[in-house]
Amino acid sequence: MSGTFGEPGVGETVSPRVPGVWGYVVMLPTWLAALTLFVLMAMTFADVILRSVANDPIESATELTRLFMAIIVFSALPMVSWNGQHIIVDLMDPLFARRAARVRDIVIDLFCGVILLWPAKRVWDLAERARDFGDVTEYLGFPQYVIGWFIAAFTLLTATVFIARGLMRVFARSKVPD
Amino acid sequence: MLVSVLGFAAVLVLVFLRMPIAIAMGVVGFVGYAEIRGFRASISMVGRLVIDTAQNYGLSVVPLFILMGLFVSKGGLSRELYQASYAFLGHLRGGLAMATICACAGFSAICGSSLATAATMSKVAMPQMRQYGYNDRLSTASIAAGGTLGILIPPSVILVIYGLLTETSIGKLFIAGIVPGLLGVAFYLLAVQWTVVRDPEAGPAGERTSWGERVAALRGVWAVLLLFFLVIGGLYGALDFWPLNLTFSPTEAAGMGAAGAFLIALSRGSLNLRGTVQVLVEAAQTTAALFAVLIGAWVFSNFVNLAGLPEALQDVVTGAGLAPMAVMAMILLIYVALGCVFESLSMLLLTVPIFFPLVIGLGFDPVWFGIVVVVVTEISLITPPVGLNVFVLKGVVGDVSTATIFKGVTPFWVVDILRLALLVLVPSLVLFLPNSM
Repeated sequence: MSGTFGEPGVGETVSPRVPGVWGYVVMLPTWLAALTLFVLMAMTFADVILRSVANDPIESATELTRLFMAIIVFSALPMVSWNGQHIIVDLMDPLFARRAARVRDIVIDLFCGVILLWPAKRVWDLAERARDFGDVTEYLGFPQYVIGWFIAAFTLLTATVFIARGLMRVFARSKVPD
Repeated sequence: MLVSVLGFAAVLVLVFLRMPIAIAMGVVGFVGYAEIRGFRASISMVGRLVIDTAQNYGLSVVPLFILMGLFVSKGGLSRELYQASYAFLGHLRGGLAMATICACAGFSAICGSSLATAATMSKVAMPQMRQYGYNDRLSTASIAAGGTLGILIPPSVILVIYGLLTETSIGKLFIAGIVPGLLGVAFYLLAVQWTVVRDPEAGPAGERTSWGERVAALRGVWAVLLLFFLVIGGLYGALDFWPLNLTFSPTEAAGMGAAGAFLIALSRGSLNLRGTVQVLVEAAQTTAALFAVLIGAWVFSNFVNLAGLPEALQDVVTGAGLAPMAVMAMILLIYVALGCVFESLSMLLLTVPIFFPLVIGLGFDPVWFGIVVVVVTEISLITPPVGLNVFVLKGVVGDVSTATIFKGVTPFWVVDILRLALLVLVPSLVLFLPNSM
């Protein structure tokens, strides 16, 4: 979605062209994100109504919202990266000949994949530290490290997706969505 | 100073190589931070930022407002909005174009995206205007220009991003967008009139609608109006009376808006399970892309601040003895120039970390600056050569050349510049509503 940040609704592909069971498997994280978003919406609505009508808000709503956000963002990220839906500037595209553009895209994808390994590792370390300390969320007592693991795992998956995209541009160009 | 200028140059090179902006800003910010404070400090900063951003309560406003806009788009409310506007304005010369502007404004009031507004309205308004013999120049231009209102009239995704980047109150930003948005509508209506006075053939009058039919047309849009007043009224604190007792945080307003839009779409029968899943997936994916960019922009912004760029810029400005208004004029000129080549969000993300501290240091109001930046961004959406709204329109309509659309847009562009000047010279137009919250 070149340049169409936060500008939804202008026809873009949301599912990859992968056949069979595998096609469903790769969509699972994205569906998890979608479901979580729906739950977030319903919970916020219910929270406001309960608070207003019955003076009885959902007390853990704030904490759940934060948890849901982590799930929505990071479980959607691998597919966003695979589909090339990141926000980019395509201003200079006409200046690149087709061969040069291909080399450029391969290098950029591989670079993005490799560079993301560091934050993935760092988040994992921070999660392990939280586990050692026994950190839990304030209200629900949910262990912090699980959230850390989740974020680290999906950052790693995103890194892998970028690297796979770069390699597939070399070996199986037609299968990479743009 | 030098290191941050180098950093900025590096970001530009990387994004021009088609690297995702998120990663370009993140990498440069990370390397720059490491150059000053060392690798360990830098990777710690990035790791913390990733974890904290993903779990930031305030950020949950983003997916919910996106969701609201998507449900509204899928709900097919654009037709009713257009018919209601047409019922009141259609009999005037240029009336259909004016109805288009008003319908766009109405659509913007529930959708935070300019491209979506332009794309949606063009499907409804374009065939009507053609039927009544409007020339392509006026009809396409009124949709492209009207569509830009999407990011100014609340809710607005771009104001949310600005608020998050600069820690400015999103509620106040939304409220502040109302008057400039309405001014935009008024000015666009003038632009339509100017066009038809010069060339009466451009937009002949349609048929007059009776009052009975007008009331009937309003019945089709009451749900949209109600939703807007619920969301914005709750945010402003206007609904905090018995028995409602509703005041919303931005997240709650967004949640209510999304749920409301979902229920409206559902009750109209325009949403099935498949459609709902599609909307949710699209909203989640847009959110993920936006969050990636936010994390990258924050990393970059940490580096720029650590390197002392804002202070250095301020020293330059003070040293040159420039008046704050002169500096503001220069910044706005830079924005208009950048808007000619950059897409709106990229422009905002690249410039706000640099300009914002300077502007605040000069004593300008953060809410006011946010609105002014968004108005400049609106202008960039219809400025050649990459005015994105024009290209969206070209994509939907097809058989009109972009040159024709740009030509038609000229009067709208001129009144946009006038509006910008007015908002800069009379800041209270922007600030009196939010300051009364």
